[in-house]
Amino acid sequence: MPEPALQVENLVKLYHPRGRQAVRAVDGLSFAVQPGTIFGLLGPNGAGKTTTLKVLTTLIQPTSGMARVQGFDVVKQELEVRRRISVVIQESAAELFLSTRDNLLTYARFHGLHGEVARRRADSALERFQISDLADRKVQDLSGGQRRRVQVAKIFMVETPVVFMDEFSTGMDPILKRAVMGYIRDDAGRGRTFVLTTQILSEAEELCDDILIINQGKQVARGDLNALKMLSEGMKEVALTFDKLPEGIEAELRALRPLHLHVNQNTVEIGLKMPEEKVLELVSNLARRGRVLRVEVAGASLEEIFVQLMRVDNAATEKPG
Amino acid sequence: MSAVGAVFYREGKIRVTNLTFIFWDLFYPLGYLLVFGVGINSALGMPQQAGGVDYNSFFLAGVLGMASFGIAANTSWSFFLDRDNGIFYEMLTYPLSRAEYLLGKVLFNVLIAVIQAAITVFLGAALLRIPVRVELAPLLFVSVAGGTAGWFFFYAVFALKIRRNDVFNAVTSVFYFFFLFASSMFYPLEPLPAWFRWSALANPVTWQVDVMRYATIGAGHPGQLLWEGAAFVVFSVICFVVAIRFLHSQE
Repeated sequence: MPEPALQVENLVKLYHPRGRQAVRAVDGLSFAVQPGTIFGLLGPNGAGKTTTLKVLTTLIQPTSGMARVQGFDVVKQELEVRRRISVVIQESAAELFLSTRDNLLTYARFHGLHGEVARRRADSALERFQISDLADRKVQDLSGGQRRRVQVAKIFMVETPVVFMDEFSTGMDPILKRAVMGYIRDDAGRGRTFVLTTQILSEAEELCDDILIINQGKQVARGDLNALKMLSEGMKEVALTFDKLPEGIEAELRALRPLHLHVNQNTVEIGLKMPEEKVLELVSNLARRGRVLRVEVAGASLEEIFVQLMRVDNAATEKPG
Repeated sequence: MSAVGAVFYREGKIRVTNLTFIFWDLFYPLGYLLVFGVGINSALGMPQQAGGVDYNSFFLAGVLGMASFGIAANTSWSFFLDRDNGIFYEMLTYPLSRAEYLLGKVLFNVLIAVIQAAITVFLGAALLRIPVRVELAPLLFVSVAGGTAGWFFFYAVFALKIRRNDVFNAVTSVFYFFFLFASSMFYPLEPLPAWFRWSALANPVTWQVDVMRYATIGAGHPGQLLWEGAAFVVFSVICFVVAIRFLHSQE
């Protein structure tokens, strides 16, 4: 087994807001990530994702516990860690007074690339991120989305073995986002490790091969998509489109206490937690109530699993013991 | 050194996007000397305590000290710009130590300060006949470079601790008032009331300017200059260490 790209053990980070009680942003988190993995760190707002990333990228020091990147301790060997990482922080980050090309060249220099090599890589990144026409424009004159491209393009110029991306797709159009996801997959295939946080769960579902869901600084669930789907055993998404919505169907379905229910014009979308045969029985009963134009039965999406896990976790926290 | 070089390159790239500002930085001490210095020299002359030199000669070191103080304050302002641009936090994840980051950040401005001092001293000597001690030029450049770096580290402590730029602005205004006026920058200390003189002697601006005055026109007592120089080095090192500490706790 190769050395993990990331190793976190019992990580705790306390914040001490002035005049208020200490906040446990990260509360005893432990996990390891193997090289070449696209690792998704998911959780609701304030779950501790960004704090965990800040510790792993040496921006802040943990209160206790241990975190290593490629075997290097983030506190005792922070410079060694920084030599091995690239980071896309959540906020927009760019040299506003420099041109797009100079932003890339400056970043390259920090990573030890100079001259022709740096210029070649900058040109390639400009092309891949469709910003060649903006190469000589100052970043302060670019839109928010274009600035984000510059910010993300930088990390594909260098060959750091571990990349952290906090909400990388913010401001990207779907076509570019898809392209970037392709670049991430390609690089991961060559052994580069990616750690992503995102609120867009479909993105994580499509991209991540290892997912950690956290809430209030603690692990809620961990595994690949299939393992997480096992946690939601019995959760099904059913969508039915009728030519005319049968009368009283909404009240009948609500009586089943679904996970969610949306009725939109002639379409019913319902999330259920019940055995598969019961779901099929329900679908066949519904189909008898009117002319059905479309039926779709699917396992729960990552979003559904996430929402369900958060509900259970928050309920457990509210009622300790 | 390549990490320091990368920060130096970055700072230089940013600064050359505003050539007007660089031009102003290079020539304003000379302008100050020509306007303020000549004005005071003509109107008031120079008291005995200045060691028999005219005000222009006395003020040359003061204007250089003021310039390095100003450059340091401006450089520390860039922390706020970097924070607003988001690049500050990204840079803290780059492969460089916090010490290299601080050193690289001030290095380009140290270069500007040294060029500025050379221009001011050369043209000051040519235009105002200031009796510059050329053989002491290395000491002058060391004191300009060390002074600019020391004041930058001092300001960095506050720029890294204070989050609001208007608060930082107020703090720098207070510093300008106390540090510049309660020092030997504008006038000799001997005729001043005792409390004022002692305050000025405890002021790092006095330590730096006194060394610069010796390095430009040879005025001052070597014994006093030695402890003043040493005190400024200690002051700079303490500020450097505290600034690094604050860089580690940017939450």
